[in-house]
Amino acid sequence: MRLALDDLHVALAGRDVVAGVHLVAESGEIAGLIGPNGSGKSTLLRAVYRHLAPRAGRVLLDGRDLTALPRAEAARQLAALPQERGEAFELTVRQMVGLGRLPHQRAFAADSAEDREQTVRALDRVGMGGHAERRFAELSGGERQRVLLARALAQQPEVLVLDEPTNHLDIRHQVELLALLRAQRATTLVALHDLNAAASVCDRLHVLAGGTLVASGPPREVLTADLLAEVFGVRAAVTAHPLTGDPLIAFDHRTPPAA
Amino acid sequence: MAALAPARRTRTVGAGVLTAGLLVALVAALTVAVSLGSVDVPAREVWAVVVRHVTNTQDAPGTHDLIVWQLRVPRALLAALVGAGLGLVGTAVQALVRNPLADPYLLGISSGASLGALGAIVLGVGAGGVLGLGVSAAAFGGALGSFALVWLVARRGGGFSPLRLVLSGIAVGQFLGGLCSYLVLQGGDEQRTRGVLFWLMGSLGGATWGQLAVPAVAVALAGIALQARARALNALVLGDETAAGLGVDPDRLRRELFVVTSLLTGVLVAVSGAVGFVGLLVPHLCRLLVGGDHRRLLPLSALTGAVLLTAVDTVARTALDAQELPIGVVTALIGAPVLLFLLDRRLEGNR
Repeated sequence: MRLALDDLHVALAGRDVVAGVHLVAESGEIAGLIGPNGSGKSTLLRAVYRHLAPRAGRVLLDGRDLTALPRAEAARQLAALPQERGEAFELTVRQMVGLGRLPHQRAFAADSAEDREQTVRALDRVGMGGHAERRFAELSGGERQRVLLARALAQQPEVLVLDEPTNHLDIRHQVELLALLRAQRATTLVALHDLNAAASVCDRLHVLAGGTLVASGPPREVLTADLLAEVFGVRAAVTAHPLTGDPLIAFDHRTPPAA
Repeated sequence: MAALAPARRTRTVGAGVLTAGLLVALVAALTVAVSLGSVDVPAREVWAVVVRHVTNTQDAPGTHDLIVWQLRVPRALLAALVGAGLGLVGTAVQALVRNPLADPYLLGISSGASLGALGAIVLGVGAGGVLGLGVSAAAFGGALGSFALVWLVARRGGGFSPLRLVLSGIAVGQFLGGLCSYLVLQGGDEQRTRGVLFWLMGSLGGATWGQLAVPAVAVALAGIALQARARALNALVLGDETAAGLGVDPDRLRRELFVVTSLLTGVLVAVSGAVGFVGLLVPHLCRLLVGGDHRRLLPLSALTGAVLLTAVDTVARTALDAQELPIGVVTALIGAPVLLFLLDRRLEGNR
């Protein structure tokens, strides 16, 4: 399913934090959203998964306006892995993933066989099948992110939206989570801090600065020394990764950004 | 693959077993509540009286008929209803403000109810008795008033965020509490002041059959309304972004929860005064027993609250020979140490 943002404006406290973004994630494609802190990445994503209402513009799924759909219907099409880390009031891993079934369920009805099966399948897909009865609160950071990804998968969505899913994870768990993401082959919109990770995982990158897109395209074309200097204010060289051939950014950590 | 830690099972008890156990406990607590008092009535006779009245066979009215059927049964049932209601409200408010240590009275509703009741008592409306209809109606009116006030204050900032609701509730509650204190001091008449204090600490004294209908309907309707939203509550406690991603509108859900919990709190406080600690303690205890899934938590909190308040009211009624203790005094004296014990256990469990 194709995700398209059409002239999206999102305002916070009366100011446009996202100002007229056009962006497309083709079916089965991983679209990466990169940009400095405060460039509007999270705000844009929040409007996509309906935490915030756009001030103007549309979020389209195969041409259908997402914000015009009932919320449960929208959540069956598009699942989110937000950045917030809520208190998990004593939920087990199974219950946490089972919550992904919420948009498929009716009030009062017990979990259906389908609900239970999708929950187990989602847990297996992220390699957490053996941990279903553990308390979510006692998991490590990497395990938590995998469980939250499983919850999104249990929604059986056509589109995944993830906000910095690898934040606070060690390198092993970052690699693990991004490999899982690639393996899903779902239409994906993901905000990433780590530009090298974005370069190797994403099919297409969209660079956000000051609430507008300043570049879009395959990582190889987008990630240039000039762009990194202009948008992020850092000095860097872009070479080919010796193992994978993907673009590899070597940052100059000694030269402070120009004012 | 990382070495798999042995999958530790959570300490949750089978919900079915627990429900059955609590139902038995409720029947037992009600039976004990009715049989104990200034005159002790054997359990067998209690049930004989109940069966006689329910089946409407009045052939041989026993000596304890009046005490059991007219005085103690309605009071025991009222205790169970109020306890169930407080369990429900406590669970819902804790999800509403996303804090497992929130109290149903945090949102200022009980202060409004107290002010209403005090106004009625001081102005002499409820001269018929502390639990006269006049006082209950005034208390409910006060609850609605403070609900409207908190709603307006919270809404001014746009969304109904948990923090905004709590701050609005505390501000309104403190303001109305100040007015309450003023009214108590103005009461003058010592007898009246005593009655006021007694009401404020909660009491089920003077319960009649006539008083049961409203709280029964309120608890049932609120229970259904909350159970219908049990899954959404699970999403809401994880955060607004998570809830939105799962197809739940967090602001709308909070508005609905605020209305339901305020109305139920108003009814409960109107019939029983502000009974503290039950609404805080019961959901907490139940969460330790069955975990955080509101589909189980809501009914179990209602049942546990019913058992607990029935037992506590029996103690309040019979602990002292000459007089009754306000039920709020007993819930606080028992509740505070129990809460600390539970918190200690939880901290140990997380280590």
